[in-house]
Parts: sequence; structure tokens; C-alpha cells
Amino acid sequence: MRKTLLLLCVATCLIVPGVLFGEGQQEGATAEESSEAIEKWIEVFSPSALTKEEQRQELEWFIKAAEPYRGMEIVSCAEGIATHKWESEVLAEAFTELTGIKVTHDIIGEGEVVDRIQRQIQTGRKLYDIYVNDADMIGTHLRANSALNLNNYMVGEGAAVTNPMLDLNDWLNPEFGQDYDGNQLQLPDQAFANLYWFRYDWFTDADIMKQFKAIYGYDLGVPVNWAAYEDIANFFTNEVNGDGTIDGEPVYGHMDYGKKSPSLGWRFTDAWLSIAGVGDVGIPNGLPVDEWGIRVENKIPKGASVSRGGATNSPAAVYALTKYVDWMKNYAPDYAASMTWSEAGPTPSRGNIAQRPFQYITWLADPAFNDPESPVTDKNGKPLWRVAPTPHGKYWDEGMKVGYQDAGSWTILKDSVTGDDRAAAWLWAQFASSKTVSLKKFTVGRTPVRKSTVFSDYLAEEEKKGTYGGIVTFYKSPVEYMWTDSGPNVPHYPLLAEQWWKNIATAVTGDTTPQESMDNLARDMDDLMGKMNLKQFSPELNPERDPQYWLDQPGSPKAERPDEEPKTIAYDELIKEWN
Amino acid sequence: MTHVSGKLKKRYIFLITYFILLSIPIYWMLITSFKTDAEILSGLSYFPKNISFENYIEIFTSSVWMSSFANSLIYVGLNVIIVLLVSVPAAYAFSRYQFVGDKHLFFWLLTNRMAPAAVFIVPFTELFYTLHIHDTHLAVALGHCLFNVPLAIWILEGFMSGIPKEIDETAFVDGYSFVHFFRKIFIPLIAPGIGVTAFFSFTFSWVELIIAKAATIVNAKPVVVTLTVGIGAEGVKWGLLAAAGVLTIIPGALVVYFVRNNMAKGFALGRV
Repeated sequence: MRKTLLLLCVATCLIVPGVLFGEGQQEGATAEESSEAIEKWIEVFSPSALTKEEQRQELEWFIKAAEPYRGMEIVSCAEGIATHKWESEVLAEAFTELTGIKVTHDIIGEGEVVDRIQRQIQTGRKLYDIYVNDADMIGTHLRANSALNLNNYMVGEGAAVTNPMLDLNDWLNPEFGQDYDGNQLQLPDQAFANLYWFRYDWFTDADIMKQFKAIYGYDLGVPVNWAAYEDIANFFTNEVNGDGTIDGEPVYGHMDYGKKSPSLGWRFTDAWLSIAGVGDVGIPNGLPVDEWGIRVENKIPKGASVSRGGATNSPAAVYALTKYVDWMKNYAPDYAASMTWSEAGPTPSRGNIAQRPFQYITWLADPAFNDPESPVTDKNGKPLWRVAPTPHGKYWDEGMKVGYQDAGSWTILKDSVTGDDRAAAWLWAQFASSKTVSLKKFTVGRTPVRKSTVFSDYLAEEEKKGTYGGIVTFYKSPVEYMWTDSGPNVPHYPLLAEQWWKNIATAVTGDTTPQESMDNLARDMDDLMGKMNLKQFSPELNPERDPQYWLDQPGSPKAERPDEEPKTIAYDELIKEWN
Repeated sequence: MTHVSGKLKKRYIFLITYFILLSIPIYWMLITSFKTDAEILSGLSYFPKNISFENYIEIFTSSVWMSSFANSLIYVGLNVIIVLLVSVPAAYAFSRYQFVGDKHLFFWLLTNRMAPAAVFIVPFTELFYTLHIHDTHLAVALGHCLFNVPLAIWILEGFMSGIPKEIDETAFVDGYSFVHFFRKIFIPLIAPGIGVTAFFSFTFSWVELIIAKAATIVNAKPVVVTLTVGIGAEGVKWGLLAAAGVLTIIPGALVVYFVRNNMAKGFALGRV
């Protein structure tokens, strides 16, 4: 009996992998099979920005271009958001069926993606043929000389596998994945912005508007600057209906998070300093000083401290951190300070939050925000909330970025992925972000990267019905380009990003003042940059000198500024301006 | 008499309290796995308002989750087999023979367990690539041997040293060949030790993350890597993670049940 059991165990160990992961033989598809497959998938990829005929044409091109690679296997990886899960469940199957190239789109945690891409760069061993890696890594890739230059590839080695209908001009923000010279090292596959979120129903309630005007002397509306945001936060938390309640329930004019965890760093590196106006003028990122406060000259990082010409501990950065701590203490619910990014994300859907300075739109696809049962939807399930441009701080100047946009981007590591692997991976990347599938992909994950998606007739109709709470309107607006990701000035994203949360956390707990926190952070970043030895454009720190010298120069780091006058704009007016 | 029962009562109260304290996290994970994410995030509740099987359905209907569980079970099983095949003879040698440097070698084995797993990531990755076994179950199973073999040798040596050497000698006098003696007499005598060793190897290999992550990509993707998907740009899928957590406890619990009588001896490395 025991022997039998043991034998069974051993047999299972040897047989199961074969059954689970057995590989079938790939054979060439006949013309009839191909056209059947095309018709089948066109039905799945509906709605689409293309006509059925154009979709057919594009899919036929993929089948033809993939002929030499039929039977190959490639592996890609991405983080676990709805968009990528759909790619792995639906698009990967479609691509495999149409082209005969078997693709496994591996969905893993975000941190895991960064770990693996770094390991592949360091060891030169191929783990994946292609990654969907945040374009925040652009500064890292351009200095490690690790990513394939897609512009050169498309006209050279990869010309035969580059889709004539790819249409790079149709990308909303191709610059996220470009180096200083405009070379496309990464190509966005999904993007989501970080927007101001507010309760449209409360902001347009006649009684509430009257109360606000009586106290503050100007109209309640979408705050254009932080002074107005602060007034509105105070109004909802302490003053609405005399005691900060609506329908007898306490409400809050602000929501944020402050637990000591890596996500606290993203709060700052992604958004906060850029919104405050820390960096220089320039889109997508300030030059020579970006929103991390890192000064770059001739592509070479020169320092983060004001004494080296950076702005990480400049008056603007200290102002940003001070406001963050004060608002959380004074206007947010008690539990905010002990929450992480993922815990705080869905809290506005509980129905007691009036506004939030930035809300990632990926959360807004969640049933918590859209379900007819949700406290933030009407009885038809339509959102009572809207998203609008993020208000900016007093150091912000015209021509600067105003918010953050995350862009998971197709990235091929050139040293470890070559020849046919490269070609097959590039085909897969183009397929997953093609016009044929993009609109359908948006309806699943709400992370658009193409103009043809957001300007499609289908979404125009949906937006009229209020389906997407203003997301599409935002993406169609003339200001969308001002929401950008971390730029090329950051020489080593994973390493430097880690320094932020540790230093910010001590300001939240009160162990250090905001000035001390930012001083420590700037020093830590300078220390690390001083030790870096990257393949090209490696940091070379400026010698330290009196900070006043730098504050007196034009641009960032900026000297102390007086407070500004609060300013708001009605949401409906704002929308008119955009159209 | 009353004195004794009073003592017993105290002991029971203490044990029951202790058991309840230990059970709270497991209970919490269990009820969380039957809640929807909306309910988990909406506030504190001690049992699910509406029992939802959504999280379990998602796991059982997803080929990714199911293959991850299968992968983990396969490499853990392989690891246990390799560990036993290697460490039973090794432990016998340490227990029965004396040779130059035996004590030092024996201690050195244990120092392997003291090294942080992260140290081995790059060399192991290189090694597995060179052997063409990267991203296979065998790679993870071999990687885990680094920690499991020393522990197994220590446990088994303890059990074996508890068995008088005269038994071996008597068997040889009776005309047993070495192999025959080992199979018929010695293995049955140390069976509890083998059970406990298998249990320790199983639990380590089942929960180990760093080497399992480094040695696999997709073909042998373990459940610990799939679990990382629950945390991302769309927040934490608490319910799904809890359901996966409950399912990952089950194999360990089953193994514990089978070796429960010999666990204490195993923790003392067989020296009781």
C-alpha cells in the first residue's frame, strides 16, 4: 500500500507538469482558418475605433508578418491591473490563434516587475522577451543603455514586423517613453492619470453653494489653486450645515494617506511636488530641474539639494510637504494617517468625502464607485462624482506640468532579447496596443493611450450618458498633455524612489520638521547619485555652495513666495472651455 | 482531589485562551475570504454579512492560480524526495562512522542555513541557466535543498543516534546484507524521524519565496508569486488574497496531521 502511494506521488510529480504545460505542435494555418479566426476576433474586439474592414486589414497584416515566426513562444510580463489581466486572458489567446506565436503574458505584482527587469539588465539573461514597465524608468533605461531604441528598430532591423497602421501620432503621450533626444525607448500600453476628484452633486447643491459663498465670498467650484482647495476642505470638514455634516452624517473636505510604507513615497514622487510647483517650466518634465528636484545639465544629473542647484529641499518642496501634513491633520478623517495608498484609494466611495486632491483613475473603474448600490452613484448607477484638473500650489507657473500620469510601457531589453525573439515580441506589443483592440481594451480597464480611442464616437455617446465620470472628457481636453510621469532626470528610479517614504514618514509623525525631512531626503539622494556609476550620463554632482546663490537664479529652485488668492471655476464652465 | 482538578481547570483555561489567541488570525483570514472586497473595506465585521464564494471561484476557475498551486506542490514534492534520498545516507554516515573533520563538516552543514537566501539569487540564476533548468520545478527543488538538506541531516542524525549501534551489528551477525538491513530494520526504526524530516522540508519549501521567485518565470511559477498579483495599481484584493491564504494553509495542515505525534521530537532535532 505504502509502496503504491509512493509510486503514485512520484508518478504525479513526473506526469502532471507534462499534462499542465505540455506543448502542442504549431502548424501553419490555412487561409480559410485565418479568415475564420479574424471574423471571430473582430466580434470580440467590438466596439473599435476602426471599421470592421479596417480591423480585418490590420489583423491580416499581423498574420502575414508573423509567418516567419509561427510556432515560436514568447513571454511578456505586466502588473496586475484590469487592463493587463484582459490582455493576458483575451489578447494573448487572440494573438496566439491568429499569428501562431504562442504568447504568455505573465501577470505579477508591480514590485515584482521592477525586480525582474533589474535582474534581467544586471545578469544579461533573458527572463522575458518584453516587459510592460512604467515609463518612470525612462531615466534609468537611458543611463543603463538597456532598452531597445524603437525608432531605429522600426526603420531598420524590424521594418518588416512594424505595422503600417501603427500610427505613432495617434498616441496620446508617446513622450513618456522618450529620452532627451526624442528616441522612443518605451511605448505606452496603458496610462492612467491622477486627477482631482469631487462630489459634483454637493458642489452644485444650491444650499451648500450659498453657505460657502456666505463664508468665503467666492463661488464653490473646482479649485484652481491650493488656497481654494484648503478653503473647501475646511468648509466641508468643519462648516457645512454649521457642523461639517450632510444629512446628519459627518463629512470631510479632504482625503489622503500617511502610513509609513513605500506607497507614501509614490504620493510624493508621482504628484505632490510637481503640483506644488517645485520644478522648472517644461513639458513633460521641467528642465533643468524636474519635479523630483533633480537638476540635470547636458543629460548629467548634478544634484538634488538647493546647495547643488537642485530643489528637493527648496522652499517650494517644504511648502508642499507642510501642506500635505497640515491638511491630513486638519481636514481628513482620522483613519487617513494610518492608511496606505491601496487602502485609501477606494475610501471616497464610502460617500463621506467631498474632494480629494488626486485620485488615480484606475480606482474609478471599481464597482465601489459605479455600482447602483454605491453611496456615490445615483439610483441608476451613474456617478455623483466627477474628476477635474488637479489644483496647483503657489510655486506653480504657466507651462509646468500639473499632475501625474502613470504609463505602463512596452520595453524590450536590447542586450538579452535579440533576433526573432525581438521581432515576435514587437509584434505582440503592437497587437496589444493596436487600433483594432484599443477601444475595447479601454472599456475593460479605462487606461487609454490612443487619441482614436478617446475621440471615438462610441465614447462620445457613453460620455453623454455620464458613464465614465469625466474621464473621457479629461483625456479629450486640451490640457491632458500636462499630466506626465517621472521624467528622464531620475537616473535610477528604483533606488531613489525608495528614499522618499522613509524621509516623508518622519514628517507625518512629527519626528522631524518638513524642512528637516526634505533636507535629509535631498542629502540621501545626492549621496546615492554621487556613488552611481552608470553606463552613460552618470551623475556628476555640482560642488556645494551657498543655497542663496541658486535661489537668486531664475527658475527652480524658487525663492519663498507670498500666499495666493483662492480661485475656483465651475465644473460646467471648465468643460465648456475644453470643448 | 479538588486541588488537582483546580490545577487542571487553570491549565485548561490557559490552554483554551492560548488556542483562541492563536486562532484569531486564521479565523480572520477565513471570514475575509468569504467577504466581498466592498464589505471588507466598508468597515469592521466579525462575520460575513453575505457569504460570498467569489474569491474561491476566481481561484478555482483561473488556470493561472491552479497551475501555480500545482507547480508549488510539484516542486515541494520533488524537494522532499531529493532531500530524503540525500540526507538519510548522509545522516547514517555521521551517526555511525568517524572520519577526519566529521564534526566540522557536520557543523558547517548547519551554517548553510544561516546564510540569507538573497545571497544565492544571482549564483543560482546563473547556475540554473548554465544547466538549462531555469524555470523548471527541478530548479526550485534543488535550490531549496540548500536549506533543507542540512536541517534534514541534523534531524535524522539525532534520530539515528538514538538507536543503539548494537542493532546494526546484530543484524550483520544474523547475515543481513547492508541494504537489506537498512530497508527491513533500520528504516522502520527511524520512520518517525523520516516523517518529521519530510514535514520540515515540506513546510520550508512551501512557504519559501526568494529562491522560488528567482528560479522561475512562468513554467514553474509558484503560488507565492501569483499571490503578489493581489497588490497593485488597483489596490489590494483582500478577499482574493485571504482565499488564497486559506488554500495555502491546507496542505501544511494535512502534513502536520500525519506527523503530529513526532513533531516535538523533530523540533529537538531527534535528541529527546
